[in-house]
Amino acid sequence: MSHLFNHSGAENTGYSQPQGLASVNEPSIPKGLLRQQSARWPRLSEPEMVRHYTWLSKRNFGIDTGFYPLGSCTMKHNPRVNEVIAQLPGIADIHPHQPEHHLQGLLSIFYEMQHMLEVCAGMDQVTLQPVAGAQGEFTAIRCIQEYFRQRGETQRTKVIVPDSAHGTNPASAAMCGFEIVEIPSLADGRMDLAALAAVADETTAAMMITNPNTLGLFEADIKEASQIVHDAGGQMYYDGANFNAILGITSPGLMGFDAVHFNLHKTFSQPHGGGGPGSGPIGVKSQLAPFLPGPLAARRSPTAQESSSAVDEYWYHWHQPEHSIGKVQQWHGNAGAVIRCWAYYRRYGNGLKTMSEHAVLNANYLRHAIHREAKKEGVSHLFVDGAETDVAKHEFTLSMQPAKEALGISAMDVAKGLLDKGYMAPTVYFPLVVPECMMIEPTETESKDTLDTFAEQFVQVLQTDAETLHAAPVTTPVRRVDEVYAARNLCLRHPFEDAE
Amino acid sequence: MDSITDPLGEMNVMVDQLPNRGREAEMLQSMGLETMEDLFVDIPSEVRFKDELPLRGPQSEEEIIADARRLLGSNVAMGGRPSFIGAGLYRNYVPAAVFQLVTRGEFLTAYTPYQPEVSQGMLQAMWEFQTLISELVGLPVANLSLYDGSTAAAEALTCAVRVHNRKATQANTVYVSELIPPDKMSVMENYCQGAEIVIKTLKHHDDGTLNLDELKLAAGSCGVYLEQPNPLGILDEGLITVKDIIGANTALIVGVQPISLGIVEAPGHYGADIVVGEGQPLGSPVTGGGPLYGIFACTKTYLRLMPGRIVGRSIDVDGKEAYCLTLSTREQHIRRHRATSNICTNETLIALMGAMHMALLGPDGLRDLAHRNLAACQCAKEILASTKGIELVHAAHHFNEFSIRVPGSAKDCLAYLDENGIIGGFDLTTWYPQYNDQILVTATDQTSLRDIEALSAQLAMWSMHQGVSA
Ligand SMILES: Cc1ncc(COP(=O)(O)O)c(C=O)c1O
Repeated sequence: MSHLFNHSGAENTGYSQPQGLASVNEPSIPKGLLRQQSARWPRLSEPEMVRHYTWLSKRNFGIDTGFYPLGSCTMKHNPRVNEVIAQLPGIADIHPHQPEHHLQGLLSIFYEMQHMLEVCAGMDQVTLQPVAGAQGEFTAIRCIQEYFRQRGETQRTKVIVPDSAHGTNPASAAMCGFEIVEIPSLADGRMDLAALAAVADETTAAMMITNPNTLGLFEADIKEASQIVHDAGGQMYYDGANFNAILGITSPGLMGFDAVHFNLHKTFSQPHGGGGPGSGPIGVKSQLAPFLPGPLAARRSPTAQESSSAVDEYWYHWHQPEHSIGKVQQWHGNAGAVIRCWAYYRRYGNGLKTMSEHAVLNANYLRHAIHREAKKEGVSHLFVDGAETDVAKHEFTLSMQPAKEALGISAMDVAKGLLDKGYMAPTVYFPLVVPECMMIEPTETESKDTLDTFAEQFVQVLQTDAETLHAAPVTTPVRRVDEVYAARNLCLRHPFEDAE
Repeated sequence: MDSITDPLGEMNVMVDQLPNRGREAEMLQSMGLETMEDLFVDIPSEVRFKDELPLRGPQSEEEIIADARRLLGSNVAMGGRPSFIGAGLYRNYVPAAVFQLVTRGEFLTAYTPYQPEVSQGMLQAMWEFQTLISELVGLPVANLSLYDGSTAAAEALTCAVRVHNRKATQANTVYVSELIPPDKMSVMENYCQGAEIVIKTLKHHDDGTLNLDELKLAAGSCGVYLEQPNPLGILDEGLITVKDIIGANTALIVGVQPISLGIVEAPGHYGADIVVGEGQPLGSPVTGGGPLYGIFACTKTYLRLMPGRIVGRSIDVDGKEAYCLTLSTREQHIRRHRATSNICTNETLIALMGAMHMALLGPDGLRDLAHRNLAACQCAKEILASTKGIELVHAAHHFNEFSIRVPGSAKDCLAYLDENGIIGGFDLTTWYPQYNDQILVTATDQTSLRDIEALSAQLAMWSMHQGVSA
């Protein structure tokens, strides 16, 4: 083990600094504010620090390490040129409050991204302000709330979500102050229109739903759902976490939605960074546009004076929507993430559809390959599709319930068995509507060979005896981690006290 | 299907990202399908795009990087000229090792460590981050980041209400310094309105320090939010007494500039219950305002109602030390609409950069860095104080930044400086319309004497144009 806090005592610092500036009077702070005890931070030289973090990195699994079929997260390859671009001083070393003529390049990229997302989503206006999907949800629901307040429809206090929805949907709506109405899915995992019709009324502010849904199925009735909600006077919100399935094929706008968030860290390859950062722009139809958080990038013809700083035939400027809800984070969104996603977009351009086609191709191919391999090996009775369908979209679910009942092998056991095979496990136990759920999303950047091998290995895991699987993983840096122990014996920081 | 049968053409540039280009037919066939279209039969034609997306064509890597260089190259980078703009984000030097290590794919391309057995690296790094932050601010608990300093402050307010509301004599009420910038205030309002929390403001004296007499009004509310240094860069000794005034059942929430804590007392040591802040100065460039990371630390009282992910140290089945996410029952994926926050994706990688920077600095390095920032600020203050036409607005101790009064409009003055190649600071009119002759000048460890002298010379020149005699 390498422990950061074991490096102490020596005089080392890993970072030698130049002298500070000299002043006439010694710089000072109020006496009572002088720090009495310095932080017990470690003392490391640079070589020790580099080794520590390199050692840690070797105990971590990323897309670069291997196949990462984490459903609902779109773990696609992150093109490396995007990282190079994000380090250029024209993004890394700019301040959001610099004047517009200092930021024409940034503004033009923001404008291009807003436009591209508007086109892909069929929305009238996009803002790049929210910094993650959940924040996009929160922002859009806030806009819907203000829209109804302005119309005097303050009785609209409820937001409808299907029981298969991601946890952030109800959490975001509740943070805005809405009451959550959860509607059950049908047995096949699809939305229940009758259940929706039964709850949609004059108290409905919005319905939040993703399509393809969290089982990877396209909700063919989506227009009817939009109709029901619109007839009740509510707004339709599209959770864009599954956008990777539909670029260039269909759009939330065509399906009748009024607002949508994008997870740029999923669909547009901002690296997930071990948990973040993300970027969660939202797009809305015109009735909601005046409420968006600003600033938005806008453009017009330059004046003679402006044209010297212009990057093309337009002058780009910030624009504040008329009835803006205000800010959801302090600056201009995760600009660095937007730049990476812009570089990603440029690689595909109007070929984004090809990307989505390949995402769907890979998901369906893998689903077939797993079923085929399982049949061949005689283990196809150990799992069923989370939802019956001819074609899935960019991801699919399997239920391990039969294996659980027959052999005592849970979805978690299979997940841990896959870790031993050198894979990241799929998403497990989500969506909640599928018992013993495994949600598999290969993305378009995995080769056929990888998918074939994964199918074989997946089936091999199912052929492994329960005892071995309960004990899995054995090849990983640590074996199964005791989460109950962690919660009962809370140790949330280095216990210096014990060491003394 | 023409994208398959057309082996050349510009669509081909995406081959380097799509390993199965050219193998589509074979893959489809294995499923008993013929065309890509067969994969989309479940999408009704009435919701299908009829035409190709009206977007530009694809580009190769070389074309993309050339366009990026051209467009981003047209932005004015702060490092290319004397620059004095801060106002919440601070130009700093991030050591090279941080950038080199953070692009390791095992960190960069992982996601939330749901499978702890193969995520020990990031989990341990975040547990260490929690320790580093906890030590820095003087509180026992820290999470592994929120979106930015403003959402951390906003979530601190809602957290304080969850914890204190039952006993509060001013239920659903929090108090916030009147100096908090409107953009940050707006974030707080958006986060608070759903829970019907009332945000009241706290007055400051003309010298920029908190009015401690008025602070008594906040006793019995759920929480008080103040910043140290405050938004005008002032180090306010009065904050040390705040906790005594507001009492045990009102949360003292302090927003910090983390580097200042190399010399300024940790708020946890003068009674803060929650400490938040913009983590950016530790580990990250300004990056146009994001991605950043929000610091959130607190006492154990808030632990079970706080927002964000937390890593705990545990053991594996062999009893070996191991790390995993813990206290997840607060979070949206379990608690859904009753979660303490909706946050899911956070700012882990930027927090990791922060951890790396902190690890390199060590306690002495942090103190030195804080001193350099203090020294740059002091030096700039002295030079500008003796610049013709310029006045310091507040006689106080400052960290990083201070306000100056110019003879005329701040906006015009900054425009003049800009024409002369200097980013002169932040126009305080943006925050406080009444301060139309004030500029917030920021100096950091990256500010040189030559930069300050250039600013002084141009300010003197502009003052002269304004009719201030030499
Ligand atoms: C279906 C769905 N909705 C919403 C979210 C929330 O997005 P984020 O994690 O970017 O906040 C996620 C991702 O985690 C998701 O999978």
